[in-house]
Amino acid sequence: MANQKSFSLPGIMTSDSSLPWLLPLITMLVVFAIIPFFYNIYLSFHEFVPLKRALIFVGWDNWIRLFTDGVFWGSLKVSLYYTFVCLIIQLVLGMGIALLIDSDDPGFGIIRSVLTLTLVIPPAIAGMIFLIMEDANYGLIPWALKSIGLIGQEDTILSDPSLALWGVMIVDIWQWTPFMVLILVAGLRSLPSEPFESAMIDGAKPFQIFRRLTLPMLHKVIAVAVLIRGIDLWRMVDYVFVLTSGGPGTATYTLSLYSWQRFTFVQWGYGATISLFSLLVILIVGNAFIHFAKVKW
Amino acid sequence: MNKILKQVIGWFIAAVFFFPIYFWITVSLKKDKDIFALPPKLFDFELSFQAYEEVFGLSRFLYVEDMGAVRPGGGDFYMMPNLVDSIIIALGSTGLAMMISILAAYALSRLPMRGQQHFMGWILSTRMMPPVAVAIPMFFIYKNIGLMDTHLGIIIIHALMNLPLAVLLMKSFFDDIPKDIDEAALLDGASRFFVFWRLIVPLAIGGIAATAVLCFIFSWTEFIFVLMLTQTGLKTIPVVSTSFVTSTGTAWDNMAALGTAAIIPAFIFILLVQRHLVRGLTLGSVKQ
Repeated sequence: MANQKSFSLPGIMTSDSSLPWLLPLITMLVVFAIIPFFYNIYLSFHEFVPLKRALIFVGWDNWIRLFTDGVFWGSLKVSLYYTFVCLIIQLVLGMGIALLIDSDDPGFGIIRSVLTLTLVIPPAIAGMIFLIMEDANYGLIPWALKSIGLIGQEDTILSDPSLALWGVMIVDIWQWTPFMVLILVAGLRSLPSEPFESAMIDGAKPFQIFRRLTLPMLHKVIAVAVLIRGIDLWRMVDYVFVLTSGGPGTATYTLSLYSWQRFTFVQWGYGATISLFSLLVILIVGNAFIHFAKVKW
Repeated sequence: MNKILKQVIGWFIAAVFFFPIYFWITVSLKKDKDIFALPPKLFDFELSFQAYEEVFGLSRFLYVEDMGAVRPGGGDFYMMPNLVDSIIIALGSTGLAMMISILAAYALSRLPMRGQQHFMGWILSTRMMPPVAVAIPMFFIYKNIGLMDTHLGIIIIHALMNLPLAVLLMKSFFDDIPKDIDEAALLDGASRFFVFWRLIVPLAIGGIAATAVLCFIFSWTEFIFVLMLTQTGLKTIPVVSTSFVTSTGTAWDNMAALGTAAIIPAFIFILLVQRHLVRGLTLGSVKQ
């Protein structure tokens, strides 16, 4: 520490106050997160009127319209279905794969590396990959399903109202199941081995060990993975945008996509209202989850 | 379970998850007749690099250079400017997010602060905001302050998007460094900033690199902000790749060439920081 005197420093950095260190972060969050949030509330009480070329105050009209709009309720249902079904499938599948590849044997390191690859693909491009694989005429997924007789010769995936959402969800499951796998493997690897050894000696069955030991000890890791994945599933818009644009009809509108679509139709106030609703839901549910699952950072 | 059976199932799962990537790469190397073939031609197709030449203008570039002037550009599928936009935005937003987050994370890790738990909760809450709910108001704010359709505008919004990740992750890396180091240096009369900049930052350099890589990848792959906050001025790769779908058909080979070129650097980056990947994905809360 001989030369610290010659090291010139801004005076405000010499105190032990944390404010100067946090100031850039707080500025950024206030200007680009808090102000837009309140601006969004402002927008939800206004609507653009093309004839006047201006935003006009409309009171609660947007919110009344929201709760009487069938497409909104449909997209809320799609968002909820998408979030919960994908979350459960990814968690169960991820846990199964994690238990399988949690091993020091040669080869499993490479398998884990291969599984990281899907995570860095831009979701829009992941959507493109499945767009060609699910194409009605030359996609290999419909072709394979027809070959083994799971769907009829004339059936399609993405233009069929009952299958289209699954056509979108399969992309999410493909891309993000490895997310669960990697987090759960890391959790499994950090568990102490003694309780498992003594349970084996006591003659416990593998399923009992999993239920009584593994799951409770992984509780925190599972909670974090579910929280982060749940948030991202709720916010998802890239896949539907690329694969179906919400169609056929309104069968695959999620809240985010519907909000974006209203926005492009210059219903700025109503679009903002839908997005604000979506934001409030995830803020309340997310923070409640953090509280009750006792997730700590 | 039998060890060999475990290996077989493990490799089968890896193959299932890798298959769409492999298939996508083959599309970029195929001619149209093979792209649309059923059953799909996975190995026995005719190799063609035409899609890459069209997207990255290699042949055009060479041709023009022969004429005595280096001026690439032209065709409908020429995507070099978009690649450059993507790189500028990803690098810029990563740099901005890292500068802000390293300072903040050090304070959150070391300095006393009232209401720290609430502050962290607030940061985490910004991670929850649906991009659409931020982009709609930002659209109007950007229009008013002239950031619409600019690199700087997207750099700021991507940095904002990455801040919760970067702050929480960097805090976890700083938390790993013993506080005794700070205290010993402070007792010797060093200033806080000196301790931070000369001692702690060099010790956390691996964590900083991992955080920066994740920020880079999330900016590189981001879609909806670029879609909503740009018009004609710039388009990053994920957004421009949707423009290959037209009413007269889809240029699958070009789209796949661009997509492949976009994911290969990300693959290399992510394998370099694999050691910290889980910690990054969980915003620093699960350590490997």
